[in-house]
Amino acid sequence: MTKVWFAVILVYLKLWMRVGTAPICAYGEAECHVPSLADLFDRVIQQSSRMHGLSNDLHSEFEKHLFPSRILIGKRKCHMYGIVTPDDKENAQRLGREQLTEVILRLLVAWGKPLTQLYQSMSQDQNPDVNHYSSNKALEISDIVHELRDGVAKMAEKMKLLGVLGNTVGYITAETSVPSSAFSFEKQGEHHSMDHHDVLYCFRRDSNKVKTYLRILKCTILPELDC
Amino acid sequence: MAVSSSLSNLLLLVLMTSLDWLSTPGSAFLLDRHHIHSLAPSEPHFTECVSRDQATFRCWWSPGNFHNLSYPGALRVFYLKKEGISHTSEWKECPEYNYSDRECFFDANHTSIWTRYCMQLRTQNNVTYYDDDDCFTVENIVRPDPPVSLNWTLLKISPSGQSYDIKVNWEPPPSADVKSYWMRLEYEIQYRDKNTTHWESLAMVPQTQQTIYGLDIEKEYEVHIRCRMHAFTKFGQFSDSLFILVTEIPNKESTFPITLVFVFGVTGVVIVILLIVVSQQHRLMMILLPPVPVPKIKGIDPEMLKKGKLDELNFFLSGGGMGGLPTYAPDYYQDEPWVEFIEVDAEDAEAGEKEENNQSSDTQRLLGLPQPVSHHTNTGCSNAISFPDDDSGRASCYDPDLPDQDALLLMATLLPGQPEDRESTLDVADRAPPAPERGLLENPLLVQTQSQSGGPRTWVNTDFYAQVSNVMPSGGVVLSPGQQLRIQEEEEEKKKKGNNGPRDTEAKKQQELPFQLLVVDPEGSGGYTTESYNNAQRQIISSTPSPPPGSPRPGEYQTIVQPQPASSTEENQCPYIVPDSPQPAQFFAPVADYTVVQEVNSQHSLLLNPPPRHSPPPCLPQHALKALPAMPIGYITPDLLENFSP
Repeated sequence: MTKVWFAVILVYLKLWMRVGTAPICAYGEAECHVPSLADLFDRVIQQSSRMHGLSNDLHSEFEKHLFPSRILIGKRKCHMYGIVTPDDKENAQRLGREQLTEVILRLLVAWGKPLTQLYQSMSQDQNPDVNHYSSNKALEISDIVHELRDGVAKMAEKMKLLGVLGNTVGYITAETSVPSSAFSFEKQGEHHSMDHHDVLYCFRRDSNKVKTYLRILKCTILPELDC
Repeated sequence: MAVSSSLSNLLLLVLMTSLDWLSTPGSAFLLDRHHIHSLAPSEPHFTECVSRDQATFRCWWSPGNFHNLSYPGALRVFYLKKEGISHTSEWKECPEYNYSDRECFFDANHTSIWTRYCMQLRTQNNVTYYDDDDCFTVENIVRPDPPVSLNWTLLKISPSGQSYDIKVNWEPPPSADVKSYWMRLEYEIQYRDKNTTHWESLAMVPQTQQTIYGLDIEKEYEVHIRCRMHAFTKFGQFSDSLFILVTEIPNKESTFPITLVFVFGVTGVVIVILLIVVSQQHRLMMILLPPVPVPKIKGIDPEMLKKGKLDELNFFLSGGGMGGLPTYAPDYYQDEPWVEFIEVDAEDAEAGEKEENNQSSDTQRLLGLPQPVSHHTNTGCSNAISFPDDDSGRASCYDPDLPDQDALLLMATLLPGQPEDRESTLDVADRAPPAPERGLLENPLLVQTQSQSGGPRTWVNTDFYAQVSNVMPSGGVVLSPGQQLRIQEEEEEKKKKGNNGPRDTEAKKQQELPFQLLVVDPEGSGGYTTESYNNAQRQIISSTPSPPPGSPRPGEYQTIVQPQPASSTEENQCPYIVPDSPQPAQFFAPVADYTVVQEVNSQHSLLLNPPPRHSPPPCLPQHALKALPAMPIGYITPDLLENFSP
């Protein structure tokens, strides 16, 4: 008898949960719970915060295991330098919402593949400094970046639908995002752990950029908020 | 390797703290501990570069041991901004100097986030002191200003009154642009007891409020807060301290007496209720559990019935012992030995408050249990079956042997075939009268029986139960018929005729026919009297001091015992009593309950006291008779019923 009740409760909860967390409706049915633009922004910003936090954790963990003799910081070169990004709040606000959105998308798209490679490289790395905890975190970061990319793309579509965004935001692919030569691990003959460190350093910076740009975008597009 | 790095860092720390100008606020290491300072500690170097709002930043330098370079302007700051693809960016000089603080301030125009800056010190002679590690990106050097407007509110006080919780709230630093989400801050609260030196830290929160639990009263606490950018490592300075002191809490005292009053009030109410319950116990029991009336036969002790003392019961029923009708004028019936009397003595009755224990006395009185005096004294008083000092109503005495026979016969007729011994009757008679009954029979009833001399004793067709059908106010109990009794009664009948007017003229007729045994109770509460409409019936009325005049009142007991004519040779017997006679209600016969069914006539009527076959009954109700076997018991059983079928 208790089992029956348990099953009933489970079914009810499942149904209720499903109702509570309704997915975004593709066809825009009336009863669908379509999240508003503000909700989308919140979700995306939350995700970007998490991404940046993870990148920071992983980077500081890497820094703990670095040899003190490493002095290549000054020569670090991030492969995202091809993407022109505003480096100031005023610049970002001056850029305009369409370009800002495009920059965000470019960044996210550009980081998809390198992060995947990073994870693969880290998991194969035999360096004792690199533990599995780090490789798992790298995998998590890679997943988050992919999700965020999809989320921002959906949000851009919605903004276009709503009319708040112009149609100048084009479709961005991995090939078009980075105009310059892509950064590849195989090309470098250096120790992989140092590559990892560089990648993480660069990614930490870029994730902070994405997070900040998204916030500025939200304030720009939703003026009723207190920005 | 980590040990050496930490050692070098320790050396640097020692060196730095030894210098005076390191006490400037906001000074910290430019480099984190994991980097080796390529420059010698004594050379001019940058101490720290800090941004407060992620839009501007400052750098401080130090000449080191080169005191000749400590004058303003000796050292110049150059920076390199590495941006874009090209590395052709050049060193630029600090946009704004502050020589007094040895600070280089970069305003918003010169500040780019996510861009690497490298700092360099140059002397007038273009001697460059540069460290590759002195490069940074602005977002990594952000140390937000401390929060402002600290405030606290009391949340809750523990029940013991010794500890409390507070909620601390504050405002973000005004320099940080948190509104537009340019900067996302996290806050860390630390508090300590003012007397101690150890600070307690709470978890980082992004909100501008936090609760501190478990502070003790009468202890002064110091609270300060610092913040940092989310997902970054560098904290800002601590805010100004907030001092908290909570002295004794008055609320506790006010609740104490209220609790005490409440407790006492409840206890008092409970005690009062208990007192009420205890004092009114009987009443409450009566209300809650009213006593169920038990069936009682007036005059018969239910204890006797319970314990199965059949002998005594028979004796009682037969009129032995104390109870009894007042003796009638025995002179009337001297000639007729079949007349038996039940005497009721009104004087002996004790009209105390009535409980069941009075039943036996009433029973004895009712049935006129013979007293030992009566048996032993060979006086001519046949009414010796009475209370020792009872002489009321006794006109004459009978022969000595008569009382015995009378008593015996009475008992015999009353009892279902159980011959009573003289001894038993004596025993019963010797029994002291118990306490009087509850107002039903005031006078002990004296039963005096006059039986036909030499008459065979037949105990056939005698009722075991003689129902009291009526009670006379004079104290007599009218019993429903026992068939075998023959009581002579002439004068008493006539006397009672006067008393019981509505009773019909049967009493006047002096016949040797069945009679009625009357036990009259002056106080009786009975409601009905036995019908006696037989011509031959006699009535024995209690010889009360004041025989009630007039008709029998509702409070009268009349025991009318109708003798069985079969055992006698009397004629004109109309022995049976028809319950539905047209007589008035005062002589209504409850015969049906306790009467032995003798015969069933052709009309399927149950004859209770059918007349003998040889003499057709002259009475009104005339029914055909059928011979019936003797019924020793008063109730008809199913197998006996078969005999009744015509």
